[in-house]
Amino acid sequence: MQDVRLRVASAAILSAAAFSGIPGAAGAFIWWIAFGSRGISGKTLRRIAAPFILIALFGAVVSLTGGPGLSYFSRMGVIILVGSWVYDEYRPGEFMDLSVWAFGDGYGFDLGMIAETGMQSLGLLIADFSRIRMALALKGLGKGFRTLVPAGAVLIHVSLARAGDVAAILAVRGYCKGGTYEPEFRAGWSDIPGIATAICVGFFALAPVSEFFILYR
Amino acid sequence: MAVPAMKISLQEIRFACGNWRMSAEGTFLPGVHIVSGDVGSGKSTLATAIAGLTEPTGGAITGEGISSKMLSFQFPEYHVTGFTVEEECRSWSRDPDRVLAECRLGGRSGSSPLRLSRGELKRLHLACVLAGTYDLLVLDEPFSALDVAEKERICRAISSRTNGITIIFTHEQAVFPRTDYLWEIQEGRLRYRGAVPGALPAWQHAPAAIRDLIAAGKCPHNITTGDLLEAACRT
Repeated sequence: MQDVRLRVASAAILSAAAFSGIPGAAGAFIWWIAFGSRGISGKTLRRIAAPFILIALFGAVVSLTGGPGLSYFSRMGVIILVGSWVYDEYRPGEFMDLSVWAFGDGYGFDLGMIAETGMQSLGLLIADFSRIRMALALKGLGKGFRTLVPAGAVLIHVSLARAGDVAAILAVRGYCKGGTYEPEFRAGWSDIPGIATAICVGFFALAPVSEFFILYR
Repeated sequence: MAVPAMKISLQEIRFACGNWRMSAEGTFLPGVHIVSGDVGSGKSTLATAIAGLTEPTGGAITGEGISSKMLSFQFPEYHVTGFTVEEECRSWSRDPDRVLAECRLGGRSGSSPLRLSRGELKRLHLACVLAGTYDLLVLDEPFSALDVAEKERICRAISSRTNGITIIFTHEQAVFPRTDYLWEIQEGRLRYRGAVPGALPAWQHAPAAIRDLIAAGKCPHNITTGDLLEAACRT
């Protein structure tokens, strides 16, 4: 899906559908298989492994305490898959396009810049974390809890230092608020079928369709 | 009993990331190697692969006679595990008093390493790394964030390593340790230029001072500051 507006709208609808219940989660999962799973790579699988383990743990705890743990795991799992698809499809500058298109050159520009710097920082954080793990391995330290605290401290330090640098650069370049920007959007063959089926999934998951049929009978 | 020959061999290794490609082939023997290349040419990628921390996309890296290896990242923050400078020295199994005296950080033993300036942290980190004995030592941009005096001190420490393979990935243009072999990454490929000083005329990333000396017919014996001065004063 090339158009970031349709991609984000699809992700929002599908996430809401998946969160609403098992039928919505099933619909969103089928949608993901059809439109979102093509670009999946080993890198993607490694990235989503940790959140999947986390929700599996929560789901197990909920099940053991008599709650709907399996339902929780299924619904959240689909939301993670959809979120991962949005992240994989992201191209630098797209959130700026989306934000300025939606909210204009004032708040839209600021929001877009925050989103873009956030996405840039996320990529850098992943790279930093990978290097920190290598450095810890060189010191003969494993992956246990003992290394988690120093690794976290370094990550926070590096991120804050980088944020300070970005803020200083923006200030030096005269940034106060807002700016002018011309958003551009691309189109792809799967854009219209993708958003149309996402709306269908959202409609059947969120609208009281069963009530309508009961009344009709 | 014969000492096993120490070497690292790169057998047609390849790296690919999107449109970016790099390939390398060659053998690193004991001594000091300098690998130069432009920013983004793949120096850090190659450094982590040679240190055995990442796998190339294709080909193989084999080591012989290497029982200990160390990689120093360009950014010293990545290596920090201690909450104080003293703890950081101990995390490398080094004597804090000795290391701190060497890197002129005496009196800072109780400070957080992350509170040091980038240059101070680099000094501390390199002092810890260079106090160890490794068969393979890979240094990624060891001279970044250091002043000239500190670069000279680090060069003396590197030059004093009597055995093992030392590979320095750098685009430094001013201060170098005594170097045995030159390599450079050009047009997506690692190229072996040869042993110093014979390799100097072919060194594409050579600093202007070395190029000028060679053009004047005064090829230096090596690339340390002393060697360059000697060549410049040669009559």
